[in-house]
Amino acid sequence: MRFLQPGTLEEAISTRVDNPEQSVIIAGGTAVVLMLQHGLIAPEVLISLEKIPGLDSIRIEDNRLHIGALAKLGDVADSRLVRQYFPALFAACAAVGNVRVRNQATLGGNLAEADYASDPPAALMMLDALVEVKGISGTRQISLPDLLLGFLTTTLEPDELITGVIIPIPTEQPRMAYLRYNNRSSEDRPCVGIAASATFNDAICTGLRLTVGAACEIPTRLSEIEALAVGSPLTDTRIHEIAEGYAAGIETIDDLQSSAWYRTQMIRVHIQRVLKGLRDG
Amino acid sequence: MSNATLKVNGKEYRLSFSPHQTLLHVLREELGLVGAREGCGIGICGSCTVLVDGRTISSCLMLAVQAAGHDITTVEGLADDEKLHRVQRAFIDHFGFQCGYCTPGFILSTVALLANHTNPSAEEIREYLSGNLCRCGSYPNILKAVMSLSDSEV
Ligand SMILES: Cc1cc2nc3c(=O)[nH]c(=O)nc-3n(C[C@H](O)[C@H](O)[C@H](O)COP(=O)(O)OP(=O)(O)OC[C@H]3O[C@@H](n4cnc5c(N)ncnc54)[C@H](O)[C@@H]3O)c2cc1C
Ligand code: FES
Ligand code: FES
Repeated sequence: MRFLQPGTLEEAISTRVDNPEQSVIIAGGTAVVLMLQHGLIAPEVLISLEKIPGLDSIRIEDNRLHIGALAKLGDVADSRLVRQYFPALFAACAAVGNVRVRNQATLGGNLAEADYASDPPAALMMLDALVEVKGISGTRQISLPDLLLGFLTTTLEPDELITGVIIPIPTEQPRMAYLRYNNRSSEDRPCVGIAASATFNDAICTGLRLTVGAACEIPTRLSEIEALAVGSPLTDTRIHEIAEGYAAGIETIDDLQSSAWYRTQMIRVHIQRVLKGLRDG
Repeated sequence: MSNATLKVNGKEYRLSFSPHQTLLHVLREELGLVGAREGCGIGICGSCTVLVDGRTISSCLMLAVQAAGHDITTVEGLADDEKLHRVQRAFIDHFGFQCGYCTPGFILSTVALLANHTNPSAEEIREYLSGNLCRCGSYPNILKAVMSLSDSEV
């Protein structure tokens, strides 16, 4: 196996094009190294993105927050801009694994890996983030639902790299939260993760965004159910109705960590907790 | 095989190893630095913790080639000749271990914590060190050791 460190995105992409079958991209390596160690992959070439300059920046441009694909999850969580505008993304990144994983794992790697038991994707989907993707034919920006296809699969073409994530900064700062539930021990990956944001005019809810991740193959947002919140106060009854809507509308995953039935119960419980938290400020 | 230079504890080593090898493997098998240990091998237990550019990582999750060009610190690099690092001293003074298997990892994590927060609270210490596991359950004494180094103790 050869370990290559291209110095530009173009070079990384052309190296990929030259070795489509035999090469694997490595960013932080937290997933790739485990796969190598366990013999799940045996590439001839590892293409490291680490030496590509500027790919780890976190900055505001045109009223949108740009996070480079190589930004470490810990740096995203520590970013003053992320904490100020997107506390749900802060909380989702800060919840990942342990300090060491967050010091090594990148946001782009987390998205490209497309493991359902993840925290950041639900927060990014709730925030209407766009993923910037670059390949030989140019750059495209796609939404999370257009990137994530299912279990460990994305719509990325073999020549395409994730270069960053772009999140629109809302004009009116909503209340936001990310609530992660672990059913076994704290170092486990999430059983259910819920990202929510809501705006209020006095007690009247004027907008709700709610995404459930980790419990289903792809993070899920149900706009018809979100709409139930708008135009009236978020009473306990209304919150219950929303939680029931999500519990009924999401096909949950059965795995070694928990049964699908249990995940559905946990969606119901945790949505109510998150929404009551947002309502009570 | 890759040829790479690893900078460990301030010294540069010109090495030749397979790019599959983890940093943990190369530190132990090529350099004889056995302070970093394998517990879980999957990033959870923290017994393989080392510092790369001052930040903790699991050396079982990083390839040695990825660490080339960075400053690597292992527990062997903390003491100044015979004089132990103050974190090592505190772990001894407070009996922050029993078998000692997890200790290098806890010590390096504590060094990284104190580099960024000079006076962490007990809560912050617990949260930061929650990714290091101790099978002997020395947690109360580890917490005492780290608290003794925090300005907030007073
Ligand atoms: C101990 C442990 C605990 C964890 N706990 C959690 C948790 O609680 N919550 C959670 O969300 N996640 C968790 N994770 C998963 C972790 O977040 C991911 O492994 C990590 O984010 C992947 O990023 P990376 O940079 O290390 O990716 P790599 O391992 O380098 O790459 C991962 C995959 O993405 C591809 N890739 C990487 N970057 C790009 C790019 N820019 N463009 C295209 N393809 C790319 C690679 O080819 C590979 O297939 C945990 C992981 C470990 C090891
Ligand atoms: S051996 Fe690396 S974290 Fe357990
Ligand atoms: S002292 Fe034995 S594992 Fe921690």
